[in-house]
Order: sequence, then C-alpha cells, then structure tokens
Amino acid sequence: MTTELISLVVNGEAHQVLVKPNWTLLDVLRDELNLTGTKRGCDTGCCGACTVIVDGKTVNSCLMLAMKADGRNILTIEGLARGDKLHPIQEAFIEKGALQCGFCTPGMVLSAKALLDENPSPTEEDIKTAIAGNLCRCTGYIQIIEAIQAAARNLAGSASRR
Amino acid sequence: MGGLSVVGKGVARVDALEKVTGQAKYVMDLKLPNMLHCKVKRSSLAHARLLKVDTSRAERLPGVKAVATAADTPNIRFGFYVKDETMFAYDKVRFIGEPVAAVAAIDEETAEEAIELIKVEYEELPAVYDPLEALSETAPLVHEDIASYQAGFSAVKYRNVCSHTTLKKGDVEEGFRQSDFIFEDTFKTQVVHQCSLETHPVLAEIDGSGKASLWGVSSMMFPARELLSQALGIPMTKIRIQTVHTGGSFGGKVGYIPLGICLLLARKARRPVRLVLTRQEEFIGTNPRHPSIITLKTGVTSDGRLVSREARIVMDSGACAVDGPAVMTNTATSAPGPYNIPHVKVDARCVYTNKQPFGAFRGYGHPQAYFAVESQMDIIADKLGIDPVEFRLKNCFEKDGSELPTGHRIYHCGLKETLVRASAYISSARPASAENKRWRVGRGVACMLMESGLSGSGAFVKVNDDGTFTVITGTVDVGQGCSTVVCQIAAEELGVDLADISLIAGDTDTGPYDFGSCASRVTRAAGHAVRLAAADVKKQLFELACDRLEANIEDLELRDKKVSVTGSPFKSISVAELATMSIFERSGPILGRGAFLDKGGVPLSERVSGYAKSEGPSLQPATVIAEVTVDTETGRVRVLRCVESQDVGRCINPATMEGQIHGGVVQGIGYALTEETLFENGRILNPSFVDYKMATALDTPQIVPLIVEELDPTGPYGAKGAGEAPIVPVAPAIANAIYNAVGVRIKELPITGEKIFMAMKKSQGGKE
Ligand code: FES
Ligand code: FES
Repeated sequence: MTTELISLVVNGEAHQVLVKPNWTLLDVLRDELNLTGTKRGCDTGCCGACTVIVDGKTVNSCLMLAMKADGRNILTIEGLARGDKLHPIQEAFIEKGALQCGFCTPGMVLSAKALLDENPSPTEEDIKTAIAGNLCRCTGYIQIIEAIQAAARNLAGSASRR
Repeated sequence: MGGLSVVGKGVARVDALEKVTGQAKYVMDLKLPNMLHCKVKRSSLAHARLLKVDTSRAERLPGVKAVATAADTPNIRFGFYVKDETMFAYDKVRFIGEPVAAVAAIDEETAEEAIELIKVEYEELPAVYDPLEALSETAPLVHEDIASYQAGFSAVKYRNVCSHTTLKKGDVEEGFRQSDFIFEDTFKTQVVHQCSLETHPVLAEIDGSGKASLWGVSSMMFPARELLSQALGIPMTKIRIQTVHTGGSFGGKVGYIPLGICLLLARKARRPVRLVLTRQEEFIGTNPRHPSIITLKTGVTSDGRLVSREARIVMDSGACAVDGPAVMTNTATSAPGPYNIPHVKVDARCVYTNKQPFGAFRGYGHPQAYFAVESQMDIIADKLGIDPVEFRLKNCFEKDGSELPTGHRIYHCGLKETLVRASAYISSARPASAENKRWRVGRGVACMLMESGLSGSGAFVKVNDDGTFTVITGTVDVGQGCSTVVCQIAAEELGVDLADISLIAGDTDTGPYDFGSCASRVTRAAGHAVRLAAADVKKQLFELACDRLEANIEDLELRDKKVSVTGSPFKSISVAELATMSIFERSGPILGRGAFLDKGGVPLSERVSGYAKSEGPSLQPATVIAEVTVDTETGRVRVLRCVESQDVGRCINPATMEGQIHGGVVQGIGYALTEETLFENGRILNPSFVDYKMATALDTPQIVPLIVEELDPTGPYGAKGAGEAPIVPVAPAIANAIYNAVGVRIKELPITGEKIFMAMKKSQGGKE
C-alpha cells in the first residue's frame, strides 16, 4: 500500500505523519501520536466516543480518512485544558458528576465545546441535539446535560466580567 | 446524618479529573514494546462437528507470530455454574461466533488476513434456536455429554436443560379454589446487550519466569483467575490480572475467554499480545441478557388479596450455561414478586440453544421476572377496579418480618416507603404533558425487590509515615464509582479528608480476594471490609497513643491526622508521629486488615430445589412511576418523566447514587421500547449501533430520583446495595403507562410502536 506524508496541527503542535490510505484520523491520533484520550467505541461512526474538533467542527475521527486530515487543525481532549487550568466544561463535568466509566467523556466534552463555541446560551433541546451523536451507557445523560448548562452559565459569567 | 463528615456527601469522584482530561488509561490505550495484535477466528455455523482446523497457511503468512487453537489447551471444561465451556471449540461448534482459533501478528491487518487463511472443515448438524423446541424429546442436543458435566451447587440438568429449578410453598391448587378470579398471562422478554461503550480489551504479557500478567476488564477478577487456572491448568501464582479504567460493564465484562486466548498466544509467541474486540464481535461473541418466556397464573380474591400463583419459566441459555442457572433462579424466586402470597409454585428451566451464551446483565434475572409480575399486577388491578398503588400496598411485604417465598424473613425493607414516596410525588406533580386527541398521556407504576450482596471481600489499610493512609482492596471500579465510595468509607472511619486516602485496587496480586463488581455487592462487601480494616488501624493507633497521652483507649478520637483525648483537644499526638514511633520503636509498620462475608448465595432453603440459594441478607427495593405519551396514529411512545424511588440504606454518595438511577432508568427505557438483538437461524442480524437502538440524549425524559434511607445494620454505615435496582421496574412501569394511555396491553418486549399500532388497530383505535 502506498503511504503518504501528511501534516496536521494537533492541540497546537505541528506533526508530520506517514499514513496508509485506509488509516483514519482516529488511527493516527491513537496509534501514531499516542493521544489515547480519543476513544474507539464502534469504529463505524455511531457512538461519538472518537469525537474531535477539526477546524472548529466536531468530527467522528473514526470516519475521517487520515489523508483528509492533511493541513487541518485538530483539537483533542488532551488539548482542552491550559496546563493545570481546566476548561469550564471539564470543571462542570467534575462538579455535576457527569461521568461514570468516563469512556464517552472525551467525546462528550468536545461536542459540548463545539456547541458552546457556536451557541453560548443553548436550550436544553439544543444541548440534547448537540450530544445526540454521543452515546453514553452509564449516566442516562441527565448530569451531562446539567454540566453543559452549568458550563454555559460559567462561560457567560466570565465573558461578561471580562 | 448526624456526625458523618464524608459519608453521605455527594463528593466528586476520585477519578473525575483524569477522565475529563483524557488522561485516564483504559486497556486499549496500553502498549508494550514488541506488542502483537490478536484476532479471533469464529465459527460461521450455529451447530456443526468440527472436523479440522487447518492453520498452516495462516502460520506461514509473514508477520504472524503465533496461532492458537483448542490443541494448545488442555480442553478442560470450565464454567461458573455448569462446567460446559472451553477456550476454543474442539469437538463441535455450538453457536455462530464461537472462537475456533486465534492469531497474534505484528499488526491488526496481518492478523485479520491470517484469520481468513484458517480453513475450518465442518460437518453441519441440525440446530435448535427456539428454547421451547429445544425442550422437545426430538430436539438436537447442544451438549450430548451434559450428564457428565460437573456442576456447581445442585444444578439439575438433562437433555437441553442446563438447570431446572422449582419453588414450592403451600398448595397452589387449593389457593386457586379459594380465589374469586384467576388470571393467566404469558410474557416474553428479548435479548438485550450490555453495550458498554468500551468493548472487551485484553493485554497479556508473560515474564521471564513464565508468569502471565493480564490487563483486562474483568469485573470479577478473582473468579476469572480461578476459571483461567482451571481451564489452562496453570497455578494462580502464575496468573496476575490487573484492571485499569474500565469503560462500563453492567455484568457483561467477565471476560475470562478473551483473557485466556491472549494468555495462550502471548505464551506461544513469547511477546505481549493485545486483543480489542470490535463492536460487531462484542455483539456476537459476548454474553447479553437472557430472553425469557414467563407464564403467570394468579388467583385473587375480589377485594384484591393475592392468594395463589403458579409460574412457569423458560429461559434461553444459549449454547452454554455461563450465569444462566443463577440468573434463572433469581427469576424463579422473584416470580411471586414482593407480595405475600400464601400459595406459590414455580417451575423454571434454563435451556440450551444454538445461540450465543447469555449472561449477566444488570438486574440478573429480575428485569425479566418483574416485567411479567408488575404487568400482571396492573392487569389484575384494572379488572378488579382497584388503584394500582393501593393494590400493591395491600399485598406487599412489610418493613420487618415478612417472609420471602424462599422462607427467609426480611428486615429493614423500605419497599412500601418507596411506593408511598413515588406516588405522593406524582400525585402532587403536574402532568408531564397535556393530552390531545392524537397524543394520549398515561401513567404507570411498578415496584420491585431484589437482594444484594454475596460472597467475600478483603481489604488492607496502611498508615503512611506522613499520617495519610493507603487502602488496598481487591475490588474493581467498572465505572459505577465504587473507588470513590470505598475511599469515602475509609476517610470517614479514619477522620480525614478524601485527599488523605490513596487507593490501590484492581490487581489480583496486590489485593486481597474480592468476589467482584457484581450483585450490587461492592459498597456492602468491599465497603465493609475497608471499614473494618480502617477500624483495625484506628485501634492500633489508639493503643500506641494511650500511653503517650495517659488516657484510656475509650476516650481517644482520631481526626485530622491526630489522635486526641475527647474533650481535651490540646492532649494529642499526630498520626505521623505514631506511625514513625511504631516503625522504629514498637512493633513495626501499622497494618490494618478487614474481611467481610456477605451471606447471600448460600444454599439454605428446602423450598427451592435445583439451584438453591438464599436471598441475600440485604435488599434493594425500588418503585418507578413512568409517564408516557403515545401517538395514536403511529403507536410511537415518548417517555416524558420517570420518578424512581429507591431504598438504598445509608446513601454513601448521593451524586453517584443519582447517577445510578439516571443510568438505570435510561437503560430501562431501551429495554422497554427499542433495544433487541435480532436472530435469524442463530445469526445476529443487527450487530451494530446502527441497527441496535440504544437511547440517546434525545430519548432521555425528566428523571426524578427519590432516595429512601431505611438503614440496614449489616452494611457499612447502614448502606445497602443499590446499583442494579434502578433498571428493574422501568419496563413494566412503561408497559403499564402505555396501557393507561391507549388501553392496549403489550406482553412482549420491546414494546415497539408497531406492536402498539397493531394492538390499537385490533381493539378499534384504543381507549375512547
Ligand atoms: S468510534 Fe467513531 S463513532 Fe464510534
Ligand atoms: S460514562 Fe460510561 S459511557 Fe458515558
């Protein structure tokens, strides 16, 4: 199989990776860059555990061919906190108990981030729709929805103080 | 909650930080140098004699480092209840998906290619898929040698029946003669999968001394180690099972076969081997919930007293027994429900078929039983014109002293309280939605009682020389939050903050025996053992301190890493000082030990035959009231609100407890309405999340958890088990709410829109 060299920026860091045509972005993140925070729950685009943000939009990285990620800017769960300072969504997930096994959490948090970046004051329905592609078998989604609502309030609060 | 400072608080989970930052490591995230990748060759036929497994071409493929088949194992049959399983099929294949061989190769692609090169020669045999057909005299036998298989407990087995249980109390025929009305209904429940978001992963490495280190996701590490040791003839000193973070289990992650396969390959290849099941393999190759057929014949008086119940249960076990005998015993002993019925007779059979073996899934036989029991309660209440809640209250067990059908007395049972609390909430709440001609709204109630806890757990507590503590347990946090709960218990007992406790768990080498994360037992058994170990440490600290403080032991207290004399806070000595003193001047380091046996699961009752067990000493009672709306034009159901009231004894952590209720309700909605693994001639038609419909955030209703705390003195701080109960009453409550909304009674899960629509059509458009 022919390999190709792609360049991508992940969490602000530039990488060059030699990829095979059938590799996905998820393969590159987990196996080549050792960013294992992005999870594989189905590999068929159905569970959202592999959600990352590509140029501002959420993507199921198991469905995106690695070659398509050439030249793109990618945010994974590892890139969300600033050093020890958690992102308000991460803080809210801890505070509201919005996780159990935690396997869906990275994808959930990133879907929430993409939502709040675009719509800082979402309704409950907006939130449910935004995370409808992220399956969670543990939490029943309730505390996740509450955490996203709390994060939206906190983000709005800090924005108005600025 | 007088005097408690950590227990009873909804503190954040101890693992939350690593999980929100993506740093938490799961087995599929682990890599070792020179690691190989494993793929499993699975049977393509449901029932066939295995003539030849030719692996020669696979072995010659460049990049393949080892191939394993039954020939690499001693072929000892093993199993929890009936010893009918093997690592790889060797005489016959019994279901589509059964492992026949496995390959370890330098990458997944090569391993996959090698699997295709393995040639299996079969002689196809007639198969049996329907459990009722499997019971007939002429049905093909799934296990011809069943009579010679060893069984744990007193499993009665013959032909395709791997376990036959009966329960008898009073005289049902006499009971039916005393009844004014007799109801007979048959209910069916479907196969549903645990669908943990993480599939089964295993990483195996054999060290220079021949010892196997296995990183797996076994929620029952110690029993898994025992089975591996039996199946492969390896002493337990040569097997170490460790878990890291686990992406959900719900009973499904027992995982001894994947562990065994990787162990064999790692030994053969002399390199580490990792296996991660694909989602499709997870659906076809693991052990989802047993489907069941339950017939209840019930006699009542016209004023609403239950008099007599006869239950006939057929449970489809699939190709092996796995947990079947125990699951079915739960279904059998729950068939009378939590009600005082003088005459009871239950006949339950667990039957082999050529489908994947079914196993443990949250609720363990109770979701099946309670769908039948609580649906029929409403059928009866409706006919007698009695309010469903009143009807239940009239017949249900009292808090103390009621007799379970097995003959055991129960105490500290908050079941009535959960019924009262849930119905009081709902009667003062506004309806969740307004009704109109098209969308009808209905409410339904269901309650349930199941035991919790069994078997033993141990714990150690170490005092560190800075006055902090390390807890060592054999327990496994599969995501439910037991790490947090056992740390809370230790912190409470030792008078420190959560931050002063470090936890070592999930390792069969370092931890004391623990039966596992199952049977809602961890808070009770592991929690109790931790509490006892902490109390042991406390006692030793007090013994050291009493000389120095010139005080009696009874007058000492431990708080904020200091031992002090009650009432004289200035008379104190730090734990750090005591720890150092002990190490250098007295008896060496301070070590605390705790061990606890939860006496569930012990054969006790002469009323039960076939697989006798006691109900555990502790109970999980719960009530759900569901509100739904049904589209009369399509039959589509939306669940609007679920009130779940549960007696958890002392609630150690309200935040994680509410999480258990939320999760259980939403899983229960899936069980009630959408989830089903579909089979055609033993082949699963929908082994993916595309076609297997789990609830998403859009399906989540308003959920109101109401926590009842009827303390149980046999649990730590009065705690009861609580993890499984939340799912159990959900499906019958929804079925009853649908009946309340549109007047159709669906007795087969899942209650799809299509079934409702057809039933409404049959009854000319439902309720007018
Ligand atoms: S792993 Fe990508 S959507 Fe499931
Ligand atoms: S927390 Fe386990 S899948 Fe969401």
